[in-house]
Amino acid sequence: MNIATVEPWVEAPLRRFVDDARARLALLLHPSGQVIAQAGFTREVDVMSACALAAASHATAGELGRRVDGHAFRSLHYAGPDRQLFLSPVETARGAYICLTVFNAESSLGLVRIYFEELCNDLAAAAPPLPAIRQPTIAADFELDLNRNLAALFGRHHP
Amino acid sequence: MSLVNYATREITCKIVYYGPGRSGKTTNLHYIYGQVPDDRKGRMVSLATQTDRTLFFDFLPLDLGSISGFTTKFQLYTVPGQVYYQATRKLVLQGADGVVFVADSQARQLGENIESFQDLHANLAEQGIDARTVPLVLQYNKQDLPRDLILTTAELSDAINFRGVPEFPADALHGPGVFETLRSIAEVVLKRLSAGTSAGVVAGARG
Repeated sequence: MNIATVEPWVEAPLRRFVDDARARLALLLHPSGQVIAQAGFTREVDVMSACALAAASHATAGELGRRVDGHAFRSLHYAGPDRQLFLSPVETARGAYICLTVFNAESSLGLVRIYFEELCNDLAAAAPPLPAIRQPTIAADFELDLNRNLAALFGRHHP
Repeated sequence: MSLVNYATREITCKIVYYGPGRSGKTTNLHYIYGQVPDDRKGRMVSLATQTDRTLFFDFLPLDLGSISGFTTKFQLYTVPGQVYYQATRKLVLQGADGVVFVADSQARQLGENIESFQDLHANLAEQGIDARTVPLVLQYNKQDLPRDLILTTAELSDAINFRGVPEFPADALHGPGVFETLRSIAEVVLKRLSAGTSAGVVAGARG
């Protein structure tokens, strides 16, 4: 399965999870909707849209839970005719992430949940601590690049 | 929270368009979507009611191109402006790197603008964020309407812009001000990132 990650320590646990749980697709994302890792995605599914919607769905379920039950609902399961999805948070030393798992009749909710627990443990064990120092990332004179790119985006002339 | 991938040299930032109902937040995104070439934008997602009012959010991923050697991507979100969608506004605002506040220039909407601006500050405070530290740009939309219906930029500035942040008159339906607003928020957000003060997810890995 094709896996792409922003953080390398995520790759092995995620690969093991999708193999063991027989998942079709898996996404690990930040609660703000930014993708951390993706497994099995092809051009047919837009990763960024899926992340934005998964983050929204997770946040909504959490808030609904707090309002009706006093506690955030943590996990979600939706079932369609062919595919199902399971959405649940993962806690690590790097902070909280959300995992979106898509599976079909080759797997089951029970199987996904069992291996999801292993994924949580594996990620918690693999996560390095947050770096103490954050370096400045881009040059101070980035405005020229920014203006040129935005002008190109909007079809405008940039001197 | 800006996501920085040093290995693939990619930066991803989340920008939220905030403001009262019908001020033109979705219109800004539609205009941008219509202007940007296909290879520089993703699919626009709108969670709207049957009457096209924003129910949860609009989402538009943009590829800004290479900035200081980093492939820079912006994810633009709008919030639902109507008062009773307070809970969903709070959710969409989570992890925002910058906020564009879209005010409705109509004189009769001044109270709505102020209420929405206060709502923005309250929601940020609830997330433990000092609103003064969040990159913010103001847009005074609908400046194309007849003069007797709208407030001038100076009047709106007096009423809302007590922080003295960048502000732009706009007509989001036809385009004036949309580009300038996006350019300004991108600049403020990237300046903050370049100064190393953005509380982002910083990754040093491969894609």
